[in-house]
Amino acid sequence: MAGCSGGPWFGRRSAGPAGGLGEASRQEPALSGQGRLLASVVERSSGPTLLLQEQPSGRVVNLRHFQRHQPHSSPSLSWNGRYVAALVQQGSQRVPLIEDRLSGALHRLPLPADHTALRLSLAPEAGRLAVQVALDGQLRVQLFDLTGLLEPDRPGGMAIQGGGPGAPP
Amino acid sequence: MRVPVLATATGTLMAMALLLGSCMGPMPRPLHPVNSRLEALGATREPSLSGRWLALISGRGGREQVMLLDLERQQPQPLIGLNRADAQPLSVSIDAAGEKIALVRQLEGRTELVLYRRSLQSLQPIAMVPNGVPKAVQLQADGRQLAVQVSRNGIWQVDLIQIP
Repeated sequence: MAGCSGGPWFGRRSAGPAGGLGEASRQEPALSGQGRLLASVVERSSGPTLLLQEQPSGRVVNLRHFQRHQPHSSPSLSWNGRYVAALVQQGSQRVPLIEDRLSGALHRLPLPADHTALRLSLAPEAGRLAVQVALDGQLRVQLFDLTGLLEPDRPGGMAIQGGGPGAPP
Repeated sequence: MRVPVLATATGTLMAMALLLGSCMGPMPRPLHPVNSRLEALGATREPSLSGRWLALISGRGGREQVMLLDLERQQPQPLIGLNRADAQPLSVSIDAAGEKIALVRQLEGRTELVLYRRSLQSLQPIAMVPNGVPKAVQLQADGRQLAVQVSRNGIWQVDLIQIP
């Protein structure tokens, strides 16, 4: 095994202001496949909220379906950022949601009442979703097939501008 | 006389199912063979899906390690030199090629970010500049950049680090 120190050759920068909030805390980062979009969770008056920004400009991209149901957590993006997945609060349940920024559609993944969803990972091409749940006091990862539900978002596909149909200006 | 009643009830249920199905559209389907394999691993957390790969942290008996599953072959892949008995993995992420794995781990009282390259079996620490404590990491799918959540002066920040 080769080992070496963390050298200065890694180009690095801060993700910048969280949508004009200056030094606000920013957590749970997720990049699209080629890094054009960054999703993260920032503190708002309504609670932890999903923020989607273009990189490197930091321009905020509006989302149609992630305005409510805070706290949001565990964002995940597809290759070109067509799909945005995250956990939201609906009633007493943490629910995985996937927003299709191209069509404006919202997809909800219902889980059994005894499953508490804690983390998500959306495959970049959007064919699978991994959900970490707490069940009977144990953490488990479960996989779901999305191929009948979502069109693939492959590398080299069209970048989606703006917030999709119905998004605020 | 019961047959028509049953037939009517069955027909109603079928109609309701068809109606519900058409309203709800296609649903995500659990991937049962993989899920059964995951269940056999014991506790599993911090999933990272990319390409044909699933990286996660699994543990039994208080010891946790990073695991990599090839979802096409449904087989675990060796990660020589990545896991250590004295390290606690916290967050893991893999690129779509299955070549790079980014890992936040606690080792000897420190929390560090490391980058593992499978083809080289090499492990490279990535320092936080300015100083900070990493918590969560995500590699973008093309493997050229990672995003890391870092604690600095009591504030969570996100650093973007390009990978040569």
